[in-house]
Amino acid sequence: MSPTSLDELIDALRCLPGVGPKSAQRMAYHLLQRDQRGAERLSKALSHALRVLRHCARCNTFCEGEVCERCASSRRDSRLLCVVEMPVDLAMLEQTHAYQGLYYVLMGRLSPLDGIGPRELGLEKLIARASDGTVEEVILATNFTNEGEVTAHTIGELLRARGLKVSRIARGLPVGGELEHSDTGTIAQALLERRPTQEPSG
Amino acid sequence: MASPRQRVDQQPGFILHSIPYRETSLIVEALTREHGRVALIAKGARRPHSTLRGLLMAFQPLWLDWSGGGELKTLIRAEWQGGQPLLTGRALLCGYYLNELLVKLLAREDAHPALFSGYAEVLRDLSQGQATEPLLRRFELRLLRELGYGLDLEHEAATGLPIRPEAAYVYDIERGFVPVNPTEGGAAGVSGRVLQNMAREAFTDPETQQQAKLLLRRLLNHYLGGQPLQSRRVFMELQEL
Repeated sequence: MSPTSLDELIDALRCLPGVGPKSAQRMAYHLLQRDQRGAERLSKALSHALRVLRHCARCNTFCEGEVCERCASSRRDSRLLCVVEMPVDLAMLEQTHAYQGLYYVLMGRLSPLDGIGPRELGLEKLIARASDGTVEEVILATNFTNEGEVTAHTIGELLRARGLKVSRIARGLPVGGELEHSDTGTIAQALLERRPTQEPSG
Repeated sequence: MASPRQRVDQQPGFILHSIPYRETSLIVEALTREHGRVALIAKGARRPHSTLRGLLMAFQPLWLDWSGGGELKTLIRAEWQGGQPLLTGRALLCGYYLNELLVKLLAREDAHPALFSGYAEVLRDLSQGQATEPLLRRFELRLLRELGYGLDLEHEAATGLPIRPEAAYVYDIERGFVPVNPTEGGAAGVSGRVLQNMAREAFTDPETQQQAKLLLRRLLNHYLGGQPLQSRRVFMELQEL
């Protein structure tokens, strides 16, 4: 192996988040010296994924066909559309088994100071998806960070203007949470967003 | 001069912006009362169980402890001061605009205690749902004044005579407000009445709002030296959708 291809490999590994020159070098030596089969597998998996993966035409998450399995499923309630920032958020919501509707994955969030606006985030695609005539309610499940909040607000405004019902997931204390061990910001916000307790029916 | 082991405790501050750094850390730009805008590295702030996670949020009053004498300091502790609802909706977009102005116009470690108070005040008013436009204009004026680019809203340039409410003026960056010669035509300028309102920080009437907005935008663009404001662009794109 000529040093140029080694350098090239080290340099290429640095595109991973959190990988600096030192870690990239360590990874390269490990792959070449100790785990050539692993390296082969990694290289194949990477080029295969790059070739076949694309964004689902309906929910925008990664999938292999035109439309992902979830969006194609008839068991899902297509009147509900839940908007999340990233595929990991979708996975968390799925783990709850509490939601039967469909999703839309933004693959990011608005971040005005970093220059990530509606165009960079491709909000037109979401608007088109939500106005397909079947969706009745859009649930905004972006993070409760400032960026997540500004994203939710923006999408909410845009979709409400198009006659859709828009809701936001609730924020407050975690299930089984104790006030004593919660952070002050959460408690303060939970107080501000308190709601009347339900009268027992009947 | 700052010693290399300088330590600052319990400094009131706000996070203006943060960017990911390495695998688990953040670099935050903060506005502090006695040290102005400082850059702090928050080590491990992106780890799942970090106590800093969720705390280093923009627009919330904090107490910050840090150490280090270089340009990039190490954040030691942050404490939530609270008492203010989180910004939402349009107020949140305005907050981003203010933060971008501060990041782009303030030099590092240049203390502006009056500006700090003004910023804390505008965030509080925004969080309480007050009309956004007058708040933004008041803050822009204060920011220019603190930066040393204050406008003399009460006197005509060259003559030093008081501004006349019925006259129209144009602002010359080098000199100040110059009366528009009515025969010249061209730029409409700003009315003297608007300038008098601006001097009193009274931005409620529509004419003042509109003219003050254009005047301040022109001035801010000048001092930004051509750097575009991302928050303004995002806001305009949203209007188009």
